[in-house]
Amino acid sequence: MGGGRSILAYAVTRIALAIPMLLILLTAIFVILRILPGDPVLALWGGNQPGPDVIADARARLGLDKPIHVQYWDYMTSVLRGDLGVSIGFQYRGSPVWTEIGERLPATLELTIASMVVAVFAGVTPGVIAGSRRDSKLDVAIRIYSTIIYAIPIFWLGLVFQIVFAVWLGWLPANGRWTGGDVPAARTGMFTVDALLEGSFDHFGKAVRHLVLPALTLGLVLGGFFTKTVRASMLQTVGADFSDAARARGIPEWRVVYYHAFRNALPPVVTVLGLQFAILFAGAVLTERTFSIDGIGNLLLTAITSKDMTVIQGVIVVYATIIVTISLVIDIVGAMIDPRVRL
Amino acid sequence: MVDEEQQKSDAPETPAAAPAKGKGMWIGIVVVVIVIVILLVAVFGGLFGSPPVRKYALDLWYNNDGHYGDTEDELATVLKNQIEECGKIQVTLRNDPWAVYRTNWANGLMDVFLLGWYPDYFDSDDYISPFLSTSGAASLGSFYTNATVDGWITEEQTTTNPSIRDQRFADIQGALADDVPYVPLFSGNAHVAYVNGITDVELHPVSFKWFIMDKPGSTEINGSTSDRIISLDPASAYDYFSIEVINQVFDTLLVYEPVSATIMPGLAREVPTVANGFVSSNGLNYTFRLKDNLFFHDGSELNATVVARSIDRAIRLDIGGSAAFLLYDVGALGRAAANGNNTQVGRMTVDASDRNITFHLPRAVSFFNDLMAFSVSAPVPWTYSQTGEQPSTVPAVVGSGPYRLTAHTANIVLELDRYAGYHSPTLYATMGIPIIPVEDKVTINIRSTATALKQDIETHASSGIDVVYRTLTPTDLTDLSTRAATLGITVDVGASPQIRYLVINVNRVPEEQVRQAIAYSVDRAEVDSLVFASTVEPLYSMIPSNMPYTDPVFNTVYGGLQNCTSANNLLTQLGFSIRLSGIWIARDR
Repeated sequence: MGGGRSILAYAVTRIALAIPMLLILLTAIFVILRILPGDPVLALWGGNQPGPDVIADARARLGLDKPIHVQYWDYMTSVLRGDLGVSIGFQYRGSPVWTEIGERLPATLELTIASMVVAVFAGVTPGVIAGSRRDSKLDVAIRIYSTIIYAIPIFWLGLVFQIVFAVWLGWLPANGRWTGGDVPAARTGMFTVDALLEGSFDHFGKAVRHLVLPALTLGLVLGGFFTKTVRASMLQTVGADFSDAARARGIPEWRVVYYHAFRNALPPVVTVLGLQFAILFAGAVLTERTFSIDGIGNLLLTAITSKDMTVIQGVIVVYATIIVTISLVIDIVGAMIDPRVRL
Repeated sequence: MVDEEQQKSDAPETPAAAPAKGKGMWIGIVVVVIVIVILLVAVFGGLFGSPPVRKYALDLWYNNDGHYGDTEDELATVLKNQIEECGKIQVTLRNDPWAVYRTNWANGLMDVFLLGWYPDYFDSDDYISPFLSTSGAASLGSFYTNATVDGWITEEQTTTNPSIRDQRFADIQGALADDVPYVPLFSGNAHVAYVNGITDVELHPVSFKWFIMDKPGSTEINGSTSDRIISLDPASAYDYFSIEVINQVFDTLLVYEPVSATIMPGLAREVPTVANGFVSSNGLNYTFRLKDNLFFHDGSELNATVVARSIDRAIRLDIGGSAAFLLYDVGALGRAAANGNNTQVGRMTVDASDRNITFHLPRAVSFFNDLMAFSVSAPVPWTYSQTGEQPSTVPAVVGSGPYRLTAHTANIVLELDRYAGYHSPTLYATMGIPIIPVEDKVTINIRSTATALKQDIETHASSGIDVVYRTLTPTDLTDLSTRAATLGITVDVGASPQIRYLVINVNRVPEEQVRQAIAYSVDRAEVDSLVFASTVEPLYSMIPSNMPYTDPVFNTVYGGLQNCTSANNLLTQLGFSIRLSGIWIARDR
């Protein structure tokens, strides 16, 4: 089919464009990190400082004594081989960057996926209701709710949830991904999935209990934006000619809303959803801090403060790759949902 | 043909232009008169009037990314206000993240800056030589140099005679107060919060000991911390929490008593001294006799050869950011390229029984025993990596201490289980702890924020956390202390060996009087109350009050309270506003 080939060609082009984009991004980060002041090697010993020969030795071992263009070439060729190098900062010194990312990425992915589920349910449904009942009391209430919830700072909402549900009511853990030494055997690094894979519903419940508050926090805030987007899109489709035509044929209003208006309101919503997934990673940084989750956002923050250049570069490569991939998937899904793309 | 513009310029002056020229001349005269008047006022004002207020300008730097916790900006602001209150110094606050901060001070770019120090070995020398020796001062950013002080430091380092050390430490601290390359501010506090009923939770000055805690009716203790593991390889670890865990899992030749910082035998049979003959009279040879039946957690034997090999390993690997320099540099064991970057040949000898090891030092190191109690000298099994850092995972971590590492999920949790073959379960029996480890299992949950610790202990009934250790914010600490009875917890606050101080770069602030004026301006009690909710202890020497040879010289010389009169007298004597050719100029930069 012509449409199928078009999508494939589009996807291939996007992937081809993503590679130079990543290289440019990596080059820019490489240069910026070396222009900025601060010496990660000196910071290795905290407040102490051994002799200059020891420092020079450490610098040589990390390859930081080489000319900048040699460092750049070494780094880029390593990245192309899939090697992100080893950490040069105090916190993770000597540890392979992939290891540090690998230990934390599952936590961030688990949080963002759970938050997205919350955001979709808590955001799309009110948006559909509000959009289909324009200017009703329910619509006004939902609009006010979505504005307020979207305007609330993530860390503040998180703290409120912690105080109410963990400290006052004691229903849920206040922080962390796990408490105790019985961590599920790592297969994916996502505790909910690992618990299911090992067949332990107790562990699954424990993982979910730890995930509920951070996922609610991030998901509800993002859901406010979804509500607004869905409502705006629904307003157009509910009043569109094809909806009127459906009504004229005597189709019940709920069918008009859900089978005609909602379906046609989806393409822009899906696009926004995809973009918001990328933004979720940024929101996850704040949520991770608030709920003491050691995810990739926390890793980036720590790496920045110790000027751990290889870790910063590594995290950015991963972030960029994820975002490019999501954008690609969303575009393809959008094309599948909207037949006009295949015309 | 001449264009219109040319015609205009070539035209003779019209009569109408004459008044305009006269007006311009008058304006010029007026301007000249005004300038002359201004100059006269400036000169005579300078000669006969009061000189304008001129202040000594300096920058006060602090770290802004939490290296010293969340209170650094408040601390810097309070100090700025105190110094400026006296009226003759103007302080500009500046801040940087740690990597930049660290680089700036190494390059001598900061006038005055806040730092902290946690000792490597528990001897007063570790509060003196890193700061006041010429080489140490250069690395810590004050760039202080005083040949006499260097000589005194060498003397106190190389003698075990207490009276000589006493005199030399007194001399050095006197020079510190006179020259003021540092202004000691306060000793940090150590604190721990735990569920009522748990006993033997000791805020040890060197090593927090999980293996002595007792939770009646339970076989395990759950803790949480906001610290993180950097490395569990003794050759690599040089941060508080990694060393804390290493001290539960590994053993050293010498160890500390459960409550005090007094050294006692660990793997060794006795603490070597000149009196018992295991330290030579010239202080150059230390012999350690190992106890019998020492085994690592993997069942391999721990003998004198293993001890020597472990120390060689730490020195040879010299992992960036590790404490290896304490062995080959501070401890004088040396590092010889000709010997494969190990210690120099002959520095360590093992006798035929393989139970005794002797260290032969090229110079006396009066605190060598303390170095043998430091984690970097902990023996590791023969199988440990000889080419790089040993992973901090199970089962790679193998020690000989009272606990085994049985689970470690990075940045989430670690679990310690009783080592049934521990060589000295009655080590502390005479000190009220019959058997170590007391509990079968210790689980330490790793959180990434201080707030999480507070929540953990607040919700201990549901969280299951028994002990939170390091580091609560001052606000949370006060809050928990206030509500301790309601929450059913105990909050202990004690002295910490950490000290906080101002570094004054003597190259950038060369005037001794200015440095002394800063010392007069600081009000430590106000710092304590405003920033730390009265949880820290004022510090009047670089050697904290609980250490031998301490002398509160800053209290003696500058007093316990802010003294602006004396501060301003010094600055006036200095005359940083000087008169030159009848015009006052400022010397401030």
